[in-house]
Amino acid sequence: MILKEFTKGIWKENPVLVQVLGMCPTLAVSTKVVFGVSMGLATTFVLLSSSIIISILRKIIPNQVRIAVFTVIIATFVTVADYFLKAQFPDISKSLGPYIPLIVVNCIILGRQEAFASKQPVFKSILDAIGMGLGFTLSLVVLAGVREILAFGTFFNMTIMPEGYTKWVIMALPAGAFMTLGLIISLFNWINMKGKESKS
Amino acid sequence: MKKIIHILSVLTLVSLLSGACLVGVYKATAQKIVDNQKKATKDAIFKIFPEGKDSKQIDKKDLEIFSVTDAKQELLGYAFTCAGNGYQGEIKIMAGIEKDLNTLVGIEILESQETPGLGQEITNQPFKDEFKQLKTEPNIIYVKGEKPDQPNEIETITGATISSKAVVAILNKGIEKVRQEMGEK
Amino acid sequence: MKEMILSVNPHIHDNSSTRSVMREVIIALIPAIIAALYFFRIKAFVVISSCVISCVVFEYLYQKTCKKNITVKDLSAVVTGILLALIMPPALPVWVCILASAVAIILTKQIFGGIGCNIFNPALLGRAFLMAAFPTMLTSWNNPITLDVVTTATPLGLHKFTQVLTGYEPLFFGNVSGSIGETSALALLIGAAYLLIKKIINIRIPFAYIATVFIISSITNKIDPEIYAPALFNLLAGGLMLGAFFMATDYVTTPITKKGQWVFGIGCGIVTMIIRLWGGLPEGVMYSILFMNGFTPLINRVTMPKRYGTGDRE
Repeated sequence: MILKEFTKGIWKENPVLVQVLGMCPTLAVSTKVVFGVSMGLATTFVLLSSSIIISILRKIIPNQVRIAVFTVIIATFVTVADYFLKAQFPDISKSLGPYIPLIVVNCIILGRQEAFASKQPVFKSILDAIGMGLGFTLSLVVLAGVREILAFGTFFNMTIMPEGYTKWVIMALPAGAFMTLGLIISLFNWINMKGKESKS
Repeated sequence: MKKIIHILSVLTLVSLLSGACLVGVYKATAQKIVDNQKKATKDAIFKIFPEGKDSKQIDKKDLEIFSVTDAKQELLGYAFTCAGNGYQGEIKIMAGIEKDLNTLVGIEILESQETPGLGQEITNQPFKDEFKQLKTEPNIIYVKGEKPDQPNEIETITGATISSKAVVAILNKGIEKVRQEMGEK
Repeated sequence: MKEMILSVNPHIHDNSSTRSVMREVIIALIPAIIAALYFFRIKAFVVISSCVISCVVFEYLYQKTCKKNITVKDLSAVVTGILLALIMPPALPVWVCILASAVAIILTKQIFGGIGCNIFNPALLGRAFLMAAFPTMLTSWNNPITLDVVTTATPLGLHKFTQVLTGYEPLFFGNVSGSIGETSALALLIGAAYLLIKKIINIRIPFAYIATVFIISSITNKIDPEIYAPALFNLLAGGLMLGAFFMATDYVTTPITKKGQWVFGIGCGIVTMIIRLWGGLPEGVMYSILFMNGFTPLINRVTMPKRYGTGDRE
């Protein structure tokens, strides 16, 4: 039963495809799979660390100032992630630009603290955070995969399209992000609908 | 009263811990980040001057300029950065120029947010190669849809005229500034 | 239970159906198709047939997979296909035509609920998609008849970038490069006259649109004839005739009130001229109509006639 806390973030309550949270990084950094993976992992790191701390402190954080405390904790981990990327992976940090500091305002993170970590024991919170983080990363990879293949003819920076492939410039632009996300969400819902139909 | 103390103490504690943690991380990474930036600059310089061995920043007021020397300590030319507005955001260029300040050695695009697949083509080798051995006296000019036939001419990228024009404008302005600053000595 | 169809009043009794209206539009487009085939030969034939066939097929497939009523017989997909083809450059590969048809039929029309529910003109959005996806392909043109490949040399492009004016006679008859259906003003005007006589379209939007373009370009041409093209050139060059008579008069995506139609036409004219005079692109008809499509619900609401006896007195 406890495994459910982990798997729900990946499919049933997927932060991007079902809760439609964290749209800013989802749309902005999904031009290439490498960016999607790095963004997803950075977000997972922040989500996991803040969930652990907040779950430990959940009994002593006063209700009136809980949002302020959450924000300070989240901001700390975001800054840590930002410095780490700048020092170890300067190229990725440069391409993700302002979107790493912007993890602070990613609704997935504050949402999980408010809805889950501040009410649940540590172990459950860890499972929830990893599940949600993975769900976010996976949806980013799918979205970025479609966009990277169509826009650049590559996947994970490896050329996979044949010579002479015409690149779809629109897929590297915001319009392509919105269209692809819409189509992926509708496909996701269609699969879920089919699943329900065959069950009943 | 007890409640207020509780709130205050928790807030103070969390902020203090967070501050301490950040100081630690900053101390651990600051040097590396500065090194990375320096390395990025050097990489760009030596990409423009493949025979270059050493580069030194020359102290100028509002101009980032480096003198580049080869293995025998001989001056190869200067590398300088210049920036300006592109189609979507700032374009920052590192440009190499020969000693006489009249011929470009090459350029590297340091930062740009142009449209991927169109304006972003300015970061590709074919476009950057157009600036190799380009005369800067008189000013660089661009032509559209035809092969350049003047020593100071480049061809704009199809579908990305604005970005190409921006690069030319930024370079012309940058070169003028270099001439002003370097001419003084 | 059978579905009830509700629509906003007033309702007029008439024998026309979607199918009969669409049939008249197709008849009106025949001169333009003939002109396209004459000037761009086999290339026009390939583009037109692949667009029409794939539009119809996509409509059928979408409605089949979503278990909806199949409305292919109302001919609206055929009209979308023809219009889409007429605003394409002649040298477009078949797969790009198929892709544009998918965007026009599925993403612009069916996803919003099918005919009557779409916000934007399907054919224009199909082209706008291609314009963003394959900009180089969409700005490579062919000379008429000889089919030589030229780049950015439609009459509007020639004037904007090199200040060369194309003569009025080739512009009027269509012997210039451009999208396959936009070059011949004559063929389009014949079709438009047919639609007006048959009372399929109303003169308000095209008149307001063309008059606005005429007035703005007359003024700017007076100010500086060196840079700004004369008014008549602006009317004949580019896709203005096609856009004004066949796209800006689409029933679904344009206002239904009289006042609203004037507003819509004038708005299209202003946006077109802003793009042509000061924008980065030579042509602005497509974006102007799409832009005003977005305002249609607002225009309808603001210009809705008051019911007698209600509403505040000033």
